[in-house]
Amino acid sequence: MKESLLEILCCPLDKHDLELEDAEYDGDEVISGTLVCSECGERYAIEDGIPNLLPPDMREETPA
Amino acid sequence: MDLADRRGLETDVYQPAEDSQLLADAACRRIDDGLVLEVGTGSGYVADRIATETDARVIASDVNPHACRQARERGLEAVRADLVSPFVDDAFDAVAFNPPYLPTEEDAEWDDWMERALSGGESGREVIDPFLAAVGRVLAPGGVVYLLVSSLTGVDEVVERAGEEGFSAVAVADESFPFETLTVLELVR
Repeated sequence: MKESLLEILCCPLDKHDLELEDAEYDGDEVISGTLVCSECGERYAIEDGIPNLLPPDMREETPA
Repeated sequence: MDLADRRGLETDVYQPAEDSQLLADAACRRIDDGLVLEVGTGSGYVADRIATETDARVIASDVNPHACRQARERGLEAVRADLVSPFVDDAFDAVAFNPPYLPTEEDAEWDDWMERALSGGESGREVIDPFLAAVGRVLAPGGVVYLLVSSLTGVDEVVERAGEEGFSAVAVADESFPFETLTVLELVR
């Protein structure tokens, strides 16, 4: 993901800002890292350049 | 036409079909630029068409990780998300959505990603209704929704529900097939 995407992303739970931690870059792309809610502290992983912003209770849903 | 016909061999990610094409055609005709979100992007086909044929910056989201990967492989900005929940208020000039809309008996459903891509529950509107309730928050002033609906889902019911959420709806494209008519609704407030 591009870092500029952060401007339009928010915590899916409380809609507060997200802060980027432990970012690894490939050029201007964030390839991995963690997005952390500045309010509730919930953590959202970025893997292979894709932020997973599902609310925590939906993360376990993995149909076959 | 039922889910079994639509499924084909692909089990992970919905691939572009007549509905995707109708939505992409309508959206590309009516979007010039700005920031656009495609919800439920699947293969990324519609988002890719908008990114290629207009001057808009396009974000592609899906609940399905396989879809997010396919969209990213096309060069799209992909976000794994439940509808519009992780996007800030007033963000988008347009939101496009080809939702899962086929009415499905509960015991006829498959518990896999393709079922999630196709089935709208018993009413056919179990994903559309929460989308309509949530999408207004992320639309910029003057923002527009392009929503694909099938006659199998009930276009009137969707228009009525959109009205309850403060939207007026206009059909901007439709196409008839033997078992259904597909319509693209443009929703504005």
